[in-house]
Amino acid sequence: MLRANSANTQDFRFWALDVSDNFVYLSTFHVKEIKMMADRRRINGPPGGTRPAVFASNLQSGTSATDRAQRQRQPSELRKIFLKTGLIPTASGSSYLEFEPSASLAAARANPKSLIPPSSALKLACTVHGPKPLPRSAAFSPNLVLTTHVKYAPFAARQRKGHIRDSSERDLGVHLETALRGAIIAERWPKSGLDITITILEAEDDRWWGSAPDSHDASWGMMNVLAGCITAASAAIADAHIDCLDLVAGGVAAIVSDETTGASTGAPKLMLDTDPAEHRSILSACVVAYMPARDEITELWLKGDSSKASLENNDDRTGHEALIDGAVDAARGAHTVLAEAVRESLLRTVGQI
Amino acid sequence: MSNQRQASSASQVPHLSPAELSYLYTSLSLPKTPIRPDGRSPTQFRPLTAETNILPGTNGSARIGFADGTQAIVGVKAEVEKTVLSNETLARNDGGAGHEHGDQEGSAAVGGHGSWVQMSIEIPGFRDDDALPVFLSEMMRESLVGAVGTDETSDMTGGLKGRLVINKRWHWRLYIDVLLLSQPLAYPLPLLSLTTHLALLSTKLPKLKSQGEEDPFFDDDWAVAEYLYPRPSLSSGGKKSARSSFVRPPVTLLVISVGDNIIFDPNREEIAVADAVLAISITRDSEAGNLKLLSIRTVDPPSRLTPPGVPNSENVSMLGAVAPTEDVAVLNPATGEEEVPGVWRPRRGGVKRSVIAEMVKTALKKGGVGEEVLEGLEGVEVS
Repeated sequence: MLRANSANTQDFRFWALDVSDNFVYLSTFHVKEIKMMADRRRINGPPGGTRPAVFASNLQSGTSATDRAQRQRQPSELRKIFLKTGLIPTASGSSYLEFEPSASLAAARANPKSLIPPSSALKLACTVHGPKPLPRSAAFSPNLVLTTHVKYAPFAARQRKGHIRDSSERDLGVHLETALRGAIIAERWPKSGLDITITILEAEDDRWWGSAPDSHDASWGMMNVLAGCITAASAAIADAHIDCLDLVAGGVAAIVSDETTGASTGAPKLMLDTDPAEHRSILSACVVAYMPARDEITELWLKGDSSKASLENNDDRTGHEALIDGAVDAARGAHTVLAEAVRESLLRTVGQI
Repeated sequence: MSNQRQASSASQVPHLSPAELSYLYTSLSLPKTPIRPDGRSPTQFRPLTAETNILPGTNGSARIGFADGTQAIVGVKAEVEKTVLSNETLARNDGGAGHEHGDQEGSAAVGGHGSWVQMSIEIPGFRDDDALPVFLSEMMRESLVGAVGTDETSDMTGGLKGRLVINKRWHWRLYIDVLLLSQPLAYPLPLLSLTTHLALLSTKLPKLKSQGEEDPFFDDDWAVAEYLYPRPSLSSGGKKSARSSFVRPPVTLLVISVGDNIIFDPNREEIAVADAVLAISITRDSEAGNLKLLSIRTVDPPSRLTPPGVPNSENVSMLGAVAPTEDVAVLNPATGEEEVPGVWRPRRGGVKRSVIAEMVKTALKKGGVGEEVLEGLEGVEVS
């Protein structure tokens, strides 16, 4: 090629004609080799990953304590829940659930200071397929076979999630299955399967985005997500007209210590329906799936140190008991929304007939 | 394949007939005095054999075998790793004193990070991404990294996470590999948890020779290596009070409720008829020496998947053979449902709050099951 460039066109033609088949083959092979190593058809980013530029001015203002999301609600005040059933026509039952965005998020939207939203609010969609016959290859089952599948959308959290379910998503699936299996009257559908799929469109944060990524690294946001999943799945199951003992509602309570107020009022307090982005440090949290009509818990997941909660003086409950009771209260609140959504779903079905 | 899917619900469907299930349930739910198939008391654990330091290539290892032949091996390996600090943390540390105390305190360089402890569980017949191994490893890892010591004087400030910090730039990464050697006859949680506890107790890390913020440099004499969880030294120890001030790895107890009874360490047949199954993780509180609750998780009871029995009144082949008055419907006190005595119904519904409180109380109370288990594991000779 170098020779072709330096020589005149006549020469080049002659050279090109003179080239044997062998040479042409070799050169194309060479190009193919290169293509296998690097994708040339698309414009790819640098292989190592990049960080967005952080300006010193932003760093000062962005991480200051004043911009931190603060809880505006009372300790026992829950966020509003939007819950609607039947939005996905191809599924036998479906629901969509959204938590009310926190006050700080609303303020940040009205008066944007930073491109980064201060907190996120849960949004998820749930579909129920079935009851449908099990595949021929499946073993006999005298009960309804429940399959739950929880998946974060890749854009759901601040950190991108892969397309394959990771261990936390599988873990959520098992929790959800436990919560629902206690409520569904499974022996009414022998040899049938029920698939419940939840897509999380926006997840709760595990902590405030500006605090160091390790300040409390436990996945507290997952617990809120699970509570939302339980409530939404319960609505979708009711929408699919599957017999249940009661509507199961999910609720979260946490023991938080906010050091902002100083050491004087730094005692850990019990709060319902906590948004982890709004708190400095969550000591312990609990999520329950609760059936109010039977006063029973089908799923309980409690973690953290609940022994330091400061309760009222006349309260002789231990920390974990108070935490479970708080979560049950939150679930009772979610249950009222759930009942209303299921009533709407029923009215719609009646209207269709 | 479908069996595998079914088993993925963190529980296995037992192969017991409805009549057997009903018999088991009746004997286990006898008020105050449950009769267990193997004659144990409600709080008694299965007999086990344990040994530690069986794998020379690990930092700590243990093997526990139950009398029914189920065995588990745990190996703990540690690696030194560079701590990745985020941009902001670095900037803040450089920027200096102007910033508030809270965020500094929270950074990984001081408090440790939960992801430094990695756990994998291998159970024969299960893929490693099946629900049961994932659920078990999350359950055990969560209590392990969640245990935060409050003892300011000792090394164990911040619990296991804090112990893994070498200095601001380096830390230990812990790999805990759990291997169940036999088929999972019962729900394998108690076995795996006890073995992990023992392996962590026997884990040693090389003695650090470098100081402060230097790149870590270790003593190559294995004899002077230090225990990951400091053990009472022979000179100062001996007394129980001294012993209790040490942080210990958590144990996860499997508790079931049958009727009004609460039963610990159920075997396969017992868990098949349980009304509720709870996994309760406990550890010793470093301050008072009392037991402390770390986490509770409900486990899906396999009794919900069992086949129902058919009462004579509904059985066509028994038509006219039995007088109809024999079948008296009673209300099950645990579930509030109508039941025919002696006819098995799959369990439905959940668990009452009072039952949960009772289970936790039994596990945590002084001289109770939790203390007994921890004492027993402490007694295993760690060579």
